[in-house]
Amino acid sequence: MNIFISGGCKNGKSLHAQRLAQAMAREKDLPLYYIATMIPRDAEDDIRIERHIEARRGWGFTTLEQPVDLCRCLGDAGVDVGGVFLMDSVTALLSNEMFKADGSYDSDAGTKVAAELADFAARTGNTVFVSDYIYSDAREFDEVTENYRRSLAFCDRELAKACDQVIEVSFGVFKEWK
Amino acid sequence: MVLIIGGAFQGKLDYAKAEYGLQEKDVFHCDGGSMALDFDKKIINNMQRFVLACVREDIDPRECIDEHADKLHDKIIICDDISQGVVPMDATEREWREMTGRCLVHLGQQADKVIRVFCGIPEVIKGE
Repeated sequence: MNIFISGGCKNGKSLHAQRLAQAMAREKDLPLYYIATMIPRDAEDDIRIERHIEARRGWGFTTLEQPVDLCRCLGDAGVDVGGVFLMDSVTALLSNEMFKADGSYDSDAGTKVAAELADFAARTGNTVFVSDYIYSDAREFDEVTENYRRSLAFCDRELAKACDQVIEVSFGVFKEWK
Repeated sequence: MVLIIGGAFQGKLDYAKAEYGLQEKDVFHCDGGSMALDFDKKIINNMQRFVLACVREDIDPRECIDEHADKLHDKIIICDDISQGVVPMDATEREWREMTGRCLVHLGQQADKVIRVFCGIPEVIKGE
């Protein structure tokens, strides 16, 4: 089953996603993968990544580093496409694709990422996707920021269509939209 | 009156058009630079931008809403929920954020139906 999870920051999305992914893997005795999307840019990021690795220790995840071109990891040696995947997060993936490591900006990255996410869901069938709900600010953002929000929302909506289950996390409380 | 709320870019307008069989020609898009509203259109979109225009003119948008109550009662009003982000540094944006909340309470009381849209999925939170 493909599951889409969103909600505000530090609401418990990642922990819930880890539990769901692990339960799915255990139920059917499938390999469990974690797709790491973050590209560390400074010492603060290194600490954050270290904290996430520590939080996943003992859960049984095999980590796949895939900060861009999401579907590429499905072709890696030893990766079972029939396994269970935790994709955390859509937010970071889009950011990496839109604001490239070489400093360039791809305004249309949302179209590519949304298609890849839907493809990933279709090919694996057992993925938990995590995104961030960043749509309730009272701000008039600059066009680049606004385009990022619009593009992430597009990815979210396409994933909500593609997934069997859609969950909103509010401070540890789960609401099933689908 | 039907009130449709949700975060930015959640698919509120697409939902309204599909649900009520309407097209782009039936939509009035509010503009933060003008308090004008077109009551000939069935859908009033981006109501939060109308509120912003009112705040900039130092006018209470609820008074405008009450003044035109007879023209708004059969409309579909779409508004971004801008109440859950960071409190803005800018005084006008702070006032906009609060006034939009007050306006939505006001409209929510009058609406026969209130729908929240999340990632393109609607949920009726008031009415049938």
